[in-house]
Amino acid sequence: MSPPGLSHYLVIGALLFVIGMIGFLTRRNMILMFLNAELMIQGVAINFVAFARHRGNLEGQGFFLFLLAVAACEAALALALILVLYKVNNSLDISIWQNLREDDMDPIVDEEPLPAALPPETAPKLPVAGTEPAQEEELSHV
Amino acid sequence: MFEPYLMGLIPLLPALAGLVIFLFGPKVLKEASHWPLILACAASLFIALSGAYSLTRLGHEASFSHHAGIWFATGGTHPVVAGWDFRFDPISGMMTPMVCFLGLVIAMFSAGYMHGDPGYARYFGVFSLFVASMNLLLLADNLILLYAGWEGVGVCSYLLVGFWFAKPSAAKAARKAFLVTRIGDVGLLLGIFLLWAGCDFQLDLHTVLEKARQLPEDYIYFAGMLLFIGAMGKSAQFPLHVWLPDAMEGPTPVSALIHAATMVTAGVYLVARFLPVFSRSSSLLAFIAAIGCITALLAALIALTQNDLKRILAYSTISQLGYMFMGLGSADGAASQSELVTVAMTAGMFHLFTHAFFKALLFLSAGSIMHAMHHVIDIRKLGGLRHVLPWTHIGFLAGAVALAGLFPFSGFWSKEEILKSLDLAAHRTDGHPDAYKVMTWLALITSGLTAFYTFRAYFRVFWGEEVIPEEAHGHAHESPTSMVSQLLVLTPLALGIGWYFGYSHLLEHYLAKTHGFAHMEIEIASKSWIAITSQVLAVAGIALAYVVYIAKPALDGLMRKASGPFYKLSLNRFYLDELFTIVLVRPFQVLSWLIHVLDRELWDRLVDSVARLPAWLGDRVRPVQNGLIQFYALAMALGLTIFLVFLAFGDRLYR
Repeated sequence: MSPPGLSHYLVIGALLFVIGMIGFLTRRNMILMFLNAELMIQGVAINFVAFARHRGNLEGQGFFLFLLAVAACEAALALALILVLYKVNNSLDISIWQNLREDDMDPIVDEEPLPAALPPETAPKLPVAGTEPAQEEELSHV
Repeated sequence: MFEPYLMGLIPLLPALAGLVIFLFGPKVLKEASHWPLILACAASLFIALSGAYSLTRLGHEASFSHHAGIWFATGGTHPVVAGWDFRFDPISGMMTPMVCFLGLVIAMFSAGYMHGDPGYARYFGVFSLFVASMNLLLLADNLILLYAGWEGVGVCSYLLVGFWFAKPSAAKAARKAFLVTRIGDVGLLLGIFLLWAGCDFQLDLHTVLEKARQLPEDYIYFAGMLLFIGAMGKSAQFPLHVWLPDAMEGPTPVSALIHAATMVTAGVYLVARFLPVFSRSSSLLAFIAAIGCITALLAALIALTQNDLKRILAYSTISQLGYMFMGLGSADGAASQSELVTVAMTAGMFHLFTHAFFKALLFLSAGSIMHAMHHVIDIRKLGGLRHVLPWTHIGFLAGAVALAGLFPFSGFWSKEEILKSLDLAAHRTDGHPDAYKVMTWLALITSGLTAFYTFRAYFRVFWGEEVIPEEAHGHAHESPTSMVSQLLVLTPLALGIGWYFGYSHLLEHYLAKTHGFAHMEIEIASKSWIAITSQVLAVAGIALAYVVYIAKPALDGLMRKASGPFYKLSLNRFYLDELFTIVLVRPFQVLSWLIHVLDRELWDRLVDSVARLPAWLGDRVRPVQNGLIQFYALAMALGLTIFLVFLAFGDRLYR
């Protein structure tokens, strides 16, 4: 069995990219869409590295480092955005956001609506550190 | 000695005065707005007079010319060159001092007449521009420049006729005047182009006059006919005369200056200038004379029954302009004897000259009457005013006797010249002698009619019982000194200028020095029968007017009954306005309605449908913007795919 050549890497990269793209187009959960986008980026990154290896220079590698930095920034921004959007609608469904459509168009509604969103779970609230929690008043003063 | 470059100042100074008045008149000068105009007119008059005087001391065909630069010029093989070319020759030398002088007198009269009018500054501003345009027209040595002056006076006339534009009748009259003269202006412009094409694409007036004489007779006939149509419009000749009576809606001094003394003579001036050329075409001159004759007679007949004093004067102006054209047209058949062309030209121009003074006087007197009678001008509402308005009475009487052509007053001398020239044309073998025989008699009859209608107005207004209209509210009084003094300045001129220049033939010899006209060696003897007949007819006309309107007023009604339909015809101005409405205005209205409908229903819809196409396309495409992020992403991916396919396999597609 011969060692893997350029084309193998390229196929892997293309597969990653296409999987990511299909995922991006089909999933409606914002976090999953974000992850699929990451997948596409990684597919491209593999191409860079493979070509760098194939040509024997470092340009592709250098570009890959840039790509990592950009992807990290993008991740920070995207997750922050997703968080904000989630807070507004209490849902991660992307199809709720159709505000860019023309004014006179009706919004597109799913034929099979998603199950209703769960009520937000109330996380236990901790007191601010350093102050004593309120105590129940003792009944007896014996 | 006269410096030629000073000539440019004659039109320039009034133009500057107009600028000053328009800039500072309404806010700064106010009731002193007439001063720039008066000063400019006086300065122009001085320059023009000194030029005219210099010309008298020079020989035949002397003139001053000055080229002050190029206005605009096109290149190519058929260049149009419009230069600021001025030429001062005896014809201009007669007209410009006259215009400046009358402009001066009438401006001073207007200062009293227009006192207190809210548009005081505007009035004098336009007045200045008028004097400037008229002088430009008279001094221009370039046909384009001449045309510019010609249009300039037309615009100023429009603005002044419509001076009280809030009055619907004035606005309508202004529009009518502008449109009717415009018909003529188109003719003039086409005539200029025809001459330009015929004279090696030259536009210099003296060059054109020189070269046009070599053109074939038919060419001269058509070009001359077009120029004459221009003259007909501006000089109110039948059938384009209908604007002038309506133009009386303007302030009366304007009527005196523009519609009696100066602007309407522009056509006469033009034809006189081109007379050496026109004399090559016998039928053209016969046409000019015939139109003049028809106009003179028709206008006189209409004037017989009008009741508006200003309209009577307007129709008499039209009639006298017809006289001038008759005089000019009498050069017919004189191609072999060029002295006789000179005779015809001097006759027409001499009448223009005397007419300017006495008609200005008549109109200013009418203005004075209007001023005193609070704008009542219907002669049926006036009467016996000679005690109320003694000075105006003198002015009007002087103008009337001059207009009627009584010996030895102005009108007599100049009419005499025209009749003499007509008689000469009637006794020639060339041309159309028979037609001129008829015209001579018609001209004589017209002079009798002129005397009658002039004195009809005079007797009705100044004699008989004293009738003062209610509008005057019992304080009818003579006009202020500033106005009356102008009447007194004009009175001796209107009476005597004909005798001074006519008896001595000074003006004729002066005008004969114009380039292109043969020097008069022979003295044309007067024919006594013409003079006697015209005098008899004039006296008879005056006597008839006296009898009918003073001695036996009952005769007036009798005459009306006796003349029956003719009276109605004359009173309604031969139904010419109505005829024009039916023949010209109605078809145009139908045409414009048709065009309106076509425009709305056909063209507009076509254009609208073109405009609707993008909107329709947009409606089809707009749903793409549905706001779904994944749909956008899919579109992007598909686009990218198509792009990549092209990138990868494109060269195979093109092969």
